[in-house]
Amino acid sequence: MADSAAPVKVAECGCITALGDAGATHAALLRGECALRPVPVLGRDGGQAVPLALLPGRLLDEAAPPDWLEAVRRLHAAIPGADWGSPGRPVFVTGSNFGVGGLYALRRTGDASFAVWGAPAACTERLRALLGWGPDVSVISHACVSAHLGLLLATRAVEAGLAEEALVFSFDFLSPFVAGGFHALKILNSGFPSPYRLCDSGAIGLGDGAAFAVLSRERGAWALAGQSVYNEMHQFTSNRGDGSGFDRCLEGVAAAARGRRIWFKGHGTGTLDAGQLEVSAAGRAFPGAPVVGWKGSLGHTLGSCGLVELAIAIESVRAGRTPGTIGGAGPTMAASVATESFENGAFDGVVCASNAFGGAHAAFLLCHA
Amino acid sequence: MADPLTARLKQLIVETLRLEGIKPEEIPDGEPLVGGGLSLDSIDALELVVRLEKEFGIKIASSEEARSALASVSALAAYIRERGDPSRLPT
Repeated sequence: MADSAAPVKVAECGCITALGDAGATHAALLRGECALRPVPVLGRDGGQAVPLALLPGRLLDEAAPPDWLEAVRRLHAAIPGADWGSPGRPVFVTGSNFGVGGLYALRRTGDASFAVWGAPAACTERLRALLGWGPDVSVISHACVSAHLGLLLATRAVEAGLAEEALVFSFDFLSPFVAGGFHALKILNSGFPSPYRLCDSGAIGLGDGAAFAVLSRERGAWALAGQSVYNEMHQFTSNRGDGSGFDRCLEGVAAAARGRRIWFKGHGTGTLDAGQLEVSAAGRAFPGAPVVGWKGSLGHTLGSCGLVELAIAIESVRAGRTPGTIGGAGPTMAASVATESFENGAFDGVVCASNAFGGAHAAFLLCHA
Repeated sequence: MADPLTARLKQLIVETLRLEGIKPEEIPDGEPLVGGGLSLDSIDALELVVRLEKEFGIKIASSEEARSALASVSALAAYIRERGDPSRLPT
């Protein structure tokens, strides 16, 4: 499914990662900094040390109320405007974790105070009260393309005249439950991620992340000129081996990108098969476009990654320089993978892509409004 | 006579994944476990790995290693013989 005629603009955008806000994160990526650190996968309960990028000072262990609330509050305070959640100003809350770690803590400790943040709807309702939003708040969670779906739905609301402006707000903070799940799948292990590198063994890192975007028909320096989502419905944790799922999704934005010089911000978690399929598909859809991925530094910020990386992509265009792919060394899966930062003034579009469990793919084209 | 480890692995596969209508002895030694005739998927593989790690004291480090170990029952038996706790192997 694609919608390439949307004139909706990004009026405001920002994020927080383990490296700071969007500006600080972009600057750190340009310096090649890696935010990932070895952390016991089960927090205070120990386990194998795995690469995680936690917000400064935050522990992996759950707390009640969650210790990430202050970070959410700080990010929210940076959003211009008011009356979010009121008629004409809906909020789309996205993510894949919400407070799910609390449910695991509840099971281990029996402490009911962990439960109230555990489920997406309850967690969002508490946030709504905390942040002063009105009742027009929707919750969207679809694994690691959650933020993309929020952007798409918010775009449609603005396009259809159902909203003057829409706020997409996404957050994912790590917990032993989340880290343990990826660890059980063996893709989160003691290795540090090397996105798009030719390796014998793949590994991902995980990161805390939160971000927002205000979409508007009237104002904003940036446009989402095309958006696409596609689900190949192949297998829960792997993609069709021919890469057709990636192709179908990218076709949805390729038409909008025709005639533009593009750079491609890929998903690039560090898994081998998906990395190869993605970089090959990017080469077919956008020949010659340099490919970058930032999860080798920030870790995978899960359902929020699409919005976190949108904020960094905007910062990159604003600053005129795109951070290269961070993580690992040695040959890359394709010559198009940019391992060094590059000037982006000669480009006039960025395609940002994310992929998710369940065979879901999403992408959008970001360009100047 | 069937190799005890191979027989135990087939039994574990059927039990762990609750494969209906399949007897352990019907699982071929050399057939791919994931994506083969058993129609196992990656979540089945995850469940199986967790059970195997507990039963044989092995530690599979990465998804690529898991894929290699689960290439077939024969490959799995060889992997466990090489890396498992010898005291936990069936005799």
